[in-house]
Amino acid sequence: MGQPLHVAVLAAAAWAVGALAFAWLRTRGFGGRVLFARAAGDPAAGVRYSFTTAMLPQAKESVMMHLPSYAAGMIFHLGTFVAFALLAVTLARIQLPLPVAWIARVVTLAGSFGGLALLAKRALTPHLRGLSSPDDFVANLLTTTFAALAGAASLCPPIETPWLVVAAVLLVYVPIGKIRHCFFFFSSRAYLGAFFGYRGTFPSPGWGERR
Amino acid sequence: MTTIEARIDALTEPELQHGLEVFRSRLRAAEASYLNACVHCGLCAESCHYFRMEPTLENVPARKLDLVAAVFKRHFTAAGRLAPALVGARPFDREMVRAWLDAVFGRCSLCGRCSLNCTIGIALPRVFRAARAALAAMGLVPDDLQATVDNSLRHGNNMAITKEDWVDTVQWLEEELQMETGDPEARLPLDKHGAKMLFTVNPREPKFFPLSLQASAKVFWAAGEDWTLASDPGWDLTNYGLFNCNDDEAGRITQNLVDAMARLGCTTLVIGECGHGFGAARWEGPEWLQRAYPFEVRSVLEIMDEYLASGRIRVDPARHAKTVTLHDPCNLVRHGGIIEPQRRVLRQSVSRFVEMAPTREHNFCCGGGGGQLAMAAYRDRRIRSGGMKAQQIRDTGAEIVVAPCHNCIDQLMELNKEYTLGVQIKTVAEVVADALVTGEPLPTEWKGTA
Repeated sequence: MGQPLHVAVLAAAAWAVGALAFAWLRTRGFGGRVLFARAAGDPAAGVRYSFTTAMLPQAKESVMMHLPSYAAGMIFHLGTFVAFALLAVTLARIQLPLPVAWIARVVTLAGSFGGLALLAKRALTPHLRGLSSPDDFVANLLTTTFAALAGAASLCPPIETPWLVVAAVLLVYVPIGKIRHCFFFFSSRAYLGAFFGYRGTFPSPGWGERR
Repeated sequence: MTTIEARIDALTEPELQHGLEVFRSRLRAAEASYLNACVHCGLCAESCHYFRMEPTLENVPARKLDLVAAVFKRHFTAAGRLAPALVGARPFDREMVRAWLDAVFGRCSLCGRCSLNCTIGIALPRVFRAARAALAAMGLVPDDLQATVDNSLRHGNNMAITKEDWVDTVQWLEEELQMETGDPEARLPLDKHGAKMLFTVNPREPKFFPLSLQASAKVFWAAGEDWTLASDPGWDLTNYGLFNCNDDEAGRITQNLVDAMARLGCTTLVIGECGHGFGAARWEGPEWLQRAYPFEVRSVLEIMDEYLASGRIRVDPARHAKTVTLHDPCNLVRHGGIIEPQRRVLRQSVSRFVEMAPTREHNFCCGGGGGQLAMAAYRDRRIRSGGMKAQQIRDTGAEIVVAPCHNCIDQLMELNKEYTLGVQIKTVAEVVADALVTGEPLPTEWKGTA
C-alpha cells in the first residue's frame, strides 16, 4: 500500500510545482513595468528591507495589535514546514535520530494547534467570517490535518496511510486555493520592497525612532 | 446629467467588457501577483482609518481587495473559472461594478497604510488604481471628482482660475511681499525665461490661501533664489488624474508642466506643498507620458531643507513658541519618499516639535486623500474616517499642526471644526517664513532674483 501512495504523493508534488510554475508564468505574462521616473532610492535595498526589518512585529502595527494571531500563524507555518520535511524524509525512507523525531512531532502538533486556533478565529470573528470563502476553511483544514497527522504518523505507523492521502490531496490543492501564497508571498513582498525602495521610503530611515 | 446609479443600471455588456479589458490592461505582473497572494488573514483591518472609525466588514482593506480579486479570479484564473464558489470568484456585472465603486472610490483614500501592515506585502492601492481605471473607462468616476479633472483639461488648473486672475494675484502678492520685507526688489517672478526653478502651486493658494504662496516667495527671496512662476498652464501642480485613474487625462495634465518647463527653459521643477501633486508630477507623470523628464523634479521641502543646511537662510525658532506637530501626507511621505526634510526644517524653525504616533510612513491618512475631498457623496465617511487623525493630533497636545499639503489642510480644517481640536493649521513654508532671520546680505552667488 505504501509504494503506490508514495508515487501518488510524488505525482501530487510534481503537479503542485508545475501548476505553481504555470501560475507564475501567467503572472509574468501580465508584463513588467518600465519605470521612467528617476529613482530616489535603491529597489534592491527596499527588497532586502521588505524581507527583513519590515516583517518584524515591531515594524507592523497590524502584528503588534494581534500578537496571539501572529504567534499562532508563525507556529502554524513552522509546523507545516516541518511536516513537509517529515514527508520528504518518509518518502526518502530516512530514519531520523530519536531526539530530532521528537522535536519534529512536537513542532508539527503545535503547528496543528496553531492552525486550529486560526480556524476558530476565522469562524468566530464576524469580519473575518465575512471575508472568508470556502477556500479559506478548506486550505486551513487540509494543512492543519496534514501537520497533525505528520506528528502522529511517526508515533503510530498505521496513521501513515491517511497522512499520505491527506498530503497528496493537499499538494493537489496548493495551486488551486489560497495556499498558492507559498509562492506569491515571495513575489509580492519583492514587488512591494522594490516599489517602496525605488521611491526612497524603504529602508525606513525612521524605523529606529518608532520602536 | 444622469446619476452614477442610473449609469450603472444602463451599462451594456460591451461596456462591461470594455471595463474589464481596461482593468486587465492596467495590471502588470506585480498587481497580478498581489491578486494571487491575499490569505484573508484580516490583520490589515486596523491599519485602515475607515475601519478604525467604523469597524465593519466593508471597511476591511482585504475585503475591498477581495472584491477586485474576485473578478480577477473569475476572468483570469483557471480555478476561478472552474470552481468559482470555492475560491470566491465572481463575474464583473452591474452588482460588482456597484461594489467596486463603493469600495475603491467610497471607502479608500489610496493612502497605502494597509500595504505596510499587510502580512504578505500587498500594495493594495496599486490594485485599486486598476479598478478605478476600469470604472473611469465606463464613465463611472463620481461627477465632482471628474469635474476637477475636466477643469484642469479645459482651463489648465483645477479651479478654473483665469489667467487674468492668476496674474493679478501674483502681482498683488508681490506688492505684499515688498511691503513685508521692505525690499522693493522682492519679486514673485512670472515667466522669467532661463530661471533655474519653475515653482508650481496648488490653485487653492491663489484662490483661498494667498499667504501660503507669499510665504514660499519670502523664503525664495531670503535665499536669493533664481525662480519663476508660469502665467500660462503649467503653474498648477495638481493632477486629479491620479485619483480618477484615467491615465490619458492624467498624462495630458502632466504635459502642462513639461510644456511650461520647456517654454521657460528651467532646469528644476519645484512642486509646492501638495502631496498628490508631488506624487503625480514626481512619480507617476513620467509613467503616464512614457518617457523620462529632461529636468529634475523636487519638492519645495527638499529645497528649504537645503537652504537651512547650507546656511542660505537662517531661522529663529524662538518665534514659534507654541507646540508644533507634523502631519505626513500619504502621497508625499509613504508613497513619495519625502520623509525627513520637513522634519529637519521644522526642528530648526520651531521651539517645540512633537511627532504624532505613529509617524512618518506609518502615519495615518487625514481622510482627505485619494480624491475624497472632491467627492461630496462620501463626505460623511471622510469626516468620520478623519477621526483617527483628530485623535492623533489631540494626543500630541500640539497647538499648531503643520501639513505640507493643501488637500490635507482642507481636511484638517474640517476636522478642526468637527472634532473641536482648537489648533492652527499651517504649511511648512508659512512656519519657515515667520521664523526667517533676514537683514544680512547674501553671498553674491545666491543673488538669483536681484
